[in-house]
Parts: sequence; C-alpha cells; structure tokens
Amino acid sequence: MSVAAPGSGRLDAIPRPRSVFHRNVNLIRELSITQFKLKYTGSALGYVWSLVKPTMLFGIMYLVFSVLLKAGRNDPHFPVELLLGIVVWTFFVEATTTAMNAIAGAGELIRKAYFPRWILVVASTTSALLTFAINTVLVVIVTLILGQLHLSLRSLVAPLLYIELAALVLGLSLLLSALFVFFRDLGHIWEILSLVLFYASAIVFPFLTIKGKSPKLADIAGLNPIAQIVQDLRHALVADVPVIPWMGGIIGPLAIIPIAITIVVLVIGFLVFHKLTPRFAESL
Amino acid sequence: MKPVVAVSNLTKRFRLPLDKSTTLKYRVTHWRSASRYRDLYALRDISFDIPEGQFLGITGPNGCGKSTLLKIMCRIYEPTRGTATVDGDFSAFLELGVGFNPELTARENIFLGGAMLGLTRAQLRDKVDEVLAFAELTDFAEQKLKNFSSGMQVRLAFTVAILAKTDLLIMDEVLAVGDASFQEKCFDTFNNYKREGKTIVLVSHDLAALEEYCDRVLLLDRGQIVSDGPASEVTSTYHRMVADRARAAERGLPAGGRRDSADAAPAVEIISAGLLDRHEQNTLRFDTGDPMTLDIRLLVHRDVGDFVCGMAIRRADGLLVAGTNTFLDHVTVSSRPVGRAVSIRYTIDSLPLLAGGYIVQLSTHDMSGSSIYDAANPAASFHVNNLGGHVGLLEMEGRWQVGREEDVSPPSVARQTAG
Repeated sequence: MSVAAPGSGRLDAIPRPRSVFHRNVNLIRELSITQFKLKYTGSALGYVWSLVKPTMLFGIMYLVFSVLLKAGRNDPHFPVELLLGIVVWTFFVEATTTAMNAIAGAGELIRKAYFPRWILVVASTTSALLTFAINTVLVVIVTLILGQLHLSLRSLVAPLLYIELAALVLGLSLLLSALFVFFRDLGHIWEILSLVLFYASAIVFPFLTIKGKSPKLADIAGLNPIAQIVQDLRHALVADVPVIPWMGGIIGPLAIIPIAITIVVLVIGFLVFHKLTPRFAESL
Repeated sequence: MKPVVAVSNLTKRFRLPLDKSTTLKYRVTHWRSASRYRDLYALRDISFDIPEGQFLGITGPNGCGKSTLLKIMCRIYEPTRGTATVDGDFSAFLELGVGFNPELTARENIFLGGAMLGLTRAQLRDKVDEVLAFAELTDFAEQKLKNFSSGMQVRLAFTVAILAKTDLLIMDEVLAVGDASFQEKCFDTFNNYKREGKTIVLVSHDLAALEEYCDRVLLLDRGQIVSDGPASEVTSTYHRMVADRARAAERGLPAGGRRDSADAAPAVEIISAGLLDRHEQNTLRFDTGDPMTLDIRLLVHRDVGDFVCGMAIRRADGLLVAGTNTFLDHVTVSSRPVGRAVSIRYTIDSLPLLAGGYIVQLSTHDMSGSSIYDAANPAASFHVNNLGGHVGLLEMEGRWQVGREEDVSPPSVARQTAG
C-alpha cells in the first residue's frame, strides 16, 4: 500500500531574466512595496497614521511660530509654506532614520543570501518616497482647492528639486546605513544632528527672517541643501516673487553650493557604502 | 572542461575583536589604542574544483569550516586569501525562507522570495499556483506565514528556493528539515537537476543521504580538506576520525585539540555516540524493526556522585519522538572513579520508527536535572528505511482480523458483538 502525497510532484524552474538591472529593479520594487505595506498594516488607521504626525507637527508649529511668534507676518502664504516645509522635513528625517537600520537590521538576510547590498537602502528610500509622494499629492490638492498654490512656469523646477531631495536622502542613507553597522551610537548622533538641521533649515520660519537679522548668517545657512530645497520649493509652488525669492536671489551665486553638496554627499555615500560592503556579513 | 566552481588556495580568517568597539564614542575615547583581535582561521589553504554536473557533498564536524566555505562560494564572505570562482548563474539556499516575511501571506512571500532569487513578478504570476501545489499549500495561499507550521514553512521555502533555473545549486543542511515524504521530494528534485546536467553542492551531516546521492564528498576538519573522494570512502574516514578522537579523549588528551586548556571541562563530558546494528557495526541506516544500539562514551572530569544520562530521538524537523534517561529507567551511573571513560548503551530490540531522518540528542545532568553537565545536539543521526510501506511515524504492530459472521446472525447483532 502506498499513500500518494497530495500536490504535483514536479515543478519546472524558471530561467532568470538576463538583465541584472531588470532583476534589481524588480527586487527593489518588491522590497519597498513590502516595507510600505507592513508599515501600514496591522494598525486600524493604516496609512492615516503617516498623515497624523506631519499634521500634528504642522498644527503645533503653526500655532507657535505663525500665531504666537508672528513668523512670516509679511507673507500671507506662510501657512502653506510651513506645510510644504514640514512635509519635506518629515520625509527627510523619517527616510534617513529608517534607512540607517536597513543594513544592521537585515543581518539575517545579509548573512544568508547574496544580492547587492545597496538594494536594501534603495528599497528603504523608495518606500519612504512612496509615503512622501502620497503626502505631497494630498498637500497639493488641498492647497490648490484653497487657492494657496500658484502654479506657473516656475513650478516646472519643482520635480528637479524633488530629485535633488531624493538624491540627498539616498546619499545620506547609504552613508548612515553603512556606518551604523560599525557605530551603533550613530542613531543618537543623527537624532541630535537632525534637530539642529531642523531649525537651521528654516522649516518653521521664512528663510528671509535669517537674512533680516544677519546677511552673513543667511549666506552660511543657505548652503544647507535642505534649506535650499525648501526655499526653492516654496518659490516654485507658492511664490509671490519678492516675498519668496529663489535661494539664488538671497545668497547669490553661492546657491550652487547646496547642489554641489548634494552631489558630494551622494558620491561619498556610495563610496563609503561600497568600501564597507564586504565587511557587513561578518560584522552583523 | 572548465569547472563550474574553482576554489584555489582559499583561506578565511575571522578577526574576532577582543574589545567592544561598536560605538563611535569608544573609537573617539580609545583612538590611541589599536584594536585587539583574536584570529580564527575558518579555512586554511583549500583548493578543489567542481566539474559540471557533479553532485558534491561537503561534511565535517561542527566548526570545521563547511558553512564558511559555502558562504564564500555564494559571495557572502570575502576570502582572506585565494579565490573561489563560480562560473555562471547559481542559486543558494543557506537557510530556510531567507527573505520571507512572517507577516505576509504565502502568495506574497512567493513573490518576495522569488525576487530575492532574481525572478520578476511577471514571471512568477503564472507560476504561483504551481508553486503552491508543489509545496502542498494550495489551500493556504492567503494565510500569513506566521500561522504556518514549521513543516509548511519548510515546504514553501524549499519550493521557492528551487524555482530559479540555474546551473549551480548550493544548499546547506536542507535535509535536516521536513518530513520523510518531503525529503523524498527534495531528492527527486535533486535527481531531476542531475539529469539536466546541473551541478549541486550540498552541505550535510546526514552521511546516509550523502552516500546515497553524492558523486563525491569532501570531509572538512579544522578548516582543511582531510578527505576527498567517493561518498562511501569519505564517510568511513569520518567515522574513523570520530572514533580516534573519542579514544584520544579517553586517554585524557584534549579531543582533537578541540578544547582549550583554559576552558573548564564539563563534569561529565559526552565524548562520542554511535549507532550500532545487529552486528555491532556502526551504521546510519536502519530498517523498521531492526535492533538498534546507541553506544555512548562519557568522560568524567569531576566527582559529582551519581548522575543521569538522558537521550531523545527527534524527527529531522524537530518533533520529539521519544526520550528517556537512566534515572527514569532505574539505572544508576556513578561519576567515580574520576578521569575514567564510562560506556553506556541503550538498546532497542525492534526499532518502531518508520521511514525518515532522525537525530539523537544526549545530555548528562545531575539527579534532579537542575544542572546540565554536557549536551550533544545532535549526537548522532540516522535514517530509517521503511520496507513495509506503512506511513506515518511509528510501526504500530497492530493486527488485522477478518472473520465472517455466521449466516444466521442478523446485521444488528453482528455490530453489537463487534463493539
């Protein structure tokens, strides 16, 4: 007597796609969708949670800076500028903080399977970008309805700014995730640094406020890519031109430096990551 | 012909840091002192080639470097010296369900696991049902993985692992998991691979399986290849090696240099365990109903009065099949005189187990079981062949009886008498 096992006894294997690029893109997509899905399942409100935090932050900052301290009182559009800045900032800080753990938190995977390690970081960034994109679309729709957004030819720059932001986040994520494997206190250091960066980036007040106090300080603060991205986004999407100029209109030709910094961060991030990759599996 | 895998003069050294330097703060405050390391050589100057179509087994005692070797072949670790080149596409299976997520359903995990292997969503979409059928999980497609039994997870993981068509398949200890029918399926798959001229590398402790399937086996010990040849030859070398070590240990030498003098030896150390057939020969293969003797050697290092030796048999997937110890069976074992080897035998007259892979676990502990002196897991492993065709775990030794009721009895009365 024999009992046949249920299920078919044969399985034909599938040849892999020839293009490594194609495989990597597919893996990035699967990983980032999984991450996105897992982040928002298991809680009743799901995706709504990703809106609660920036909304709360916006509410508090609006109350403190706009209402109490009268930041941006010459600028009727300041609330929407604040909102734009907070959405950008939330993405920046959440993406980099999550990505920092992309390698260290995937020890099992790294010790047991071979695939290009940078994919983990790119997937983490992509997943954060997904949330950011949805948030941005929501903000754009809401502000358009409220008549706060001024789309014009200038607005065509906005996609470039988003690309710059993504490049900056990716560069930092590569750098942080690789270093975090070896220096576990980097988490605390980054937390403090981002707090400083938050206020240095003129998220909660107009950048021109700095210039009003000290043009020299503005020249320095304007070199920060986040400050430049936020300022230029405000110019591209909200602007009444004299009130919200380009960063270039504030600090002059120096405005090329934040863009250069972004590129340098991306390159350094890539190089450091590449250099440390062989040591990941043994250190985790 | 160009070999599929070429390993030449491969050395792998791990530097184990002696100080805790995983923070930037430590590096800054200790910038003057160079980091101190202890070097550990997992592989020493290993060379071998694997020709196309070979089924190569790699075995050796724990810590012999076989897993490190596999990881270097899979490009997870970098060699310290020498090279390990793999020609062509390979798929590696070092642990079950790597990349799987317990929060996702079986179907979602197929896409994720497939992507880890380099397969795209479009390719997998047409294949999902077939995968589920092969893994015998068709009815559980939308269940989350975390709700699966370990056997189900194993089946899914294995099925996904063999999904990518590659020239070389690298696998670590896959035979240790899954029930007998699934192991058979694994081997069917391996045989299909072989027929298609693919190359397979399999790391395993299961000497019986290695003998049955491998064209060639490498025996690794302390980072070196100590034997390389047909499976039967290498497994007997392995047995000799284990026996030699046990004898060396009995003479009070450290077992093959295994133990540092600084390490305190367990009060009662398990030196060796072997399985003997009816002719007192070491074997790894039994038929259901065979006599089986577990031959245990212990070495007493400290006087602890009487102690207990326990054994357990587990199915390869971890299911506890049976367990007992000397205390439960009213057998007294004394640790006196200290320094002498103790031989203990446990004999089963008729092995009640049906086909499958099993492992034996051993332990020594005090009379109350509160302090464990030594444990060996697994201490030994064996395979049971099942000749009778019975299925399941145990030979029940039941009897069928068929009789005819007398023609006069009405059916209702017949039922009563039967009950």
